[in-house]
Amino acid sequence: MTHDEVNLSVEIAGVKLANPLMTCSGTCGYATEYADIVDLRQLGAFVTKSITAGPRVGNDYPRVVETRAGMLNAIGLANVGLEAFLDEKVPLLESLGVPVFVNVAGREIADYVAVAERLEEVDVVRGIELNISCPNVKAGGIQFGTDGAMAGEITAAVKAACRRNILIVKLSPNVTDIAAIAAAVVEAGADALSLVNTFTAMAIDIETRRPILANRTGGLSGPAIRPIAVHMVDRVYRQVARDAGVPIIGMGGIQYAHDAIEFLLAGATAVAVGTALFVDARCLIEIRDGIADYLRRHGHASITEIIGALDRE
Amino acid sequence: MSSPAPTRSKGAFAARVLANRSLGLDHYRLRLGVAGFPRSQPGQFINVRCGVAGQEGPQPLEWPEGGLPRPTGPELAGVQPLLRRPFSLAGRVDKDDGTVELDIIHHVVGVGTARLAELGVGAEVSVIGPLGRGFTVVADRPVAALVGGGVGVPPLLYLAETLQDAGVRAVAFAGARTARALPLRIDPSEPPSQAGWPTLCTAEFAARHTPTVVATDDGSLGVTGFVDKALLPWLDSPNVRAGEVAVYACGPAPMIKAVADIAAARAMPCQLALERHMACGMGTCQGCAVKVKAAGETGWAFQLVCKDGPVFDANDLYWE
Repeated sequence: MTHDEVNLSVEIAGVKLANPLMTCSGTCGYATEYADIVDLRQLGAFVTKSITAGPRVGNDYPRVVETRAGMLNAIGLANVGLEAFLDEKVPLLESLGVPVFVNVAGREIADYVAVAERLEEVDVVRGIELNISCPNVKAGGIQFGTDGAMAGEITAAVKAACRRNILIVKLSPNVTDIAAIAAAVVEAGADALSLVNTFTAMAIDIETRRPILANRTGGLSGPAIRPIAVHMVDRVYRQVARDAGVPIIGMGGIQYAHDAIEFLLAGATAVAVGTALFVDARCLIEIRDGIADYLRRHGHASITEIIGALDRE
Repeated sequence: MSSPAPTRSKGAFAARVLANRSLGLDHYRLRLGVAGFPRSQPGQFINVRCGVAGQEGPQPLEWPEGGLPRPTGPELAGVQPLLRRPFSLAGRVDKDDGTVELDIIHHVVGVGTARLAELGVGAEVSVIGPLGRGFTVVADRPVAALVGGGVGVPPLLYLAETLQDAGVRAVAFAGARTARALPLRIDPSEPPSQAGWPTLCTAEFAARHTPTVVATDDGSLGVTGFVDKALLPWLDSPNVRAGEVAVYACGPAPMIKAVADIAAARAMPCQLALERHMACGMGTCQGCAVKVKAAGETGWAFQLVCKDGPVFDANDLYWE
């Protein structure tokens, strides 16, 4: 039996993907870093490392630590900056052959808008993934994504700059009610939602009695967060996205096909894999093939039949 | 199983355990057979999935009909490693049939290395590599001083082989906390000098025609004290010409800093193989940051130990 018997293609706000598999920003570099390990052309879409207007050096070491069934990272949005991204990375992205979404971060709304406007001119880029888990320096450092009004404001500002690119807003789970934030950004014009980003967390060296990360806290990712992420996708789908017709890209600890299917059933149209790429980037292919096997086994001709199928007869 | 195109510089491979030998005090030499492993250099490393291939992740729990599951599997009975663990290559042999035999020497320090210690001969293990930038043989220096501490010694074994092939005369300085923590076998007929004169006292270096000075912190073997101090009697002896020596070192941060200072004081080229906690090992997560000298306000920039290293020129590093 071959793939031809099941249709894995999905559409995110007009961007057609051959299959629902994407990469998580920050886990796969800018373009072709994993090319020796896995054929990236088999992905549905590629999401780049966060780009900021100017280059950022990132945090002091240690930046990563493994925790049980997961890891913490406090890289600090280290990236080459917009100009070097355009010069050095875009040509590599052009060779990928799959839709590219650029994750954009910043310190104030004007930063994001400037980057978004420049990316309008880059053909290979099909969309912006708005990283709102950044401190808003003009609001005393509160993260954009923790306040509905701020999240809505930045979404509207970047949306106004996106005439060609679609706007995906990546939600932070470090909030009281992620559905409220989702509603605010959908209201402000988000074309799609991606959730969840990492959970703020900490690991302590009990011998030195100090936090292990130089930044003190980091974002928790990996299998340990998956059940929370699945819950949040379900919640956002039922309370906001389904009725608004806004697709969700679900992520959080996906390592096997089983995990991805949980997200699809909960309401995600596409899924992204992050931490698992550090373990074995070839899992992208295995997950895609595993989803196809599941569809065949349940007699589904198309993946769209299982999106949000949780609770359905 | 994946077979790489010959021009690929790195890949993911299914390796087979050929030997897994305890060296004492929780140190192990793991020998892996890897078909089609690309060319590699000393100083490079592999990123190893810790566990038997296909069984690294959580196994489904068996629910007997009408009963309760018995959680005896590793998922519930213990902690499983998630990320790969990086290990410097300690040696490489290319067989006629295209298989490559790789050696790593590791110390059990946590759940990942504990899983590796349990692997039996014939087990399949997933390996990514070769990774990073290795040592560069300094062409105009005919003498090489190899200085290693603890598990920093193994990559120097691979280097000793390469130096031998390049016609460079190498001398090794191997340090450990105590005799049993030294990941080398001592030739019983050739005990290490307590005064710091290199002899063919360690089997592995002797096989590569490299005389060795052994140093232990507690004096249980060889010279008493840190290995960087043990370097000095030989280095400053009249029959060693400073202009002929290049230094290559690997080990704990204070040790390699001390070696870098010794080399700098004598205008000797010095390369250091660094160690950092890693997640991806391939330059994507950007976790393994190290400061190097750079133009600009701060005078430094970050590079990555997995991609720009692990080997760095000592003069390029920004020491805080």
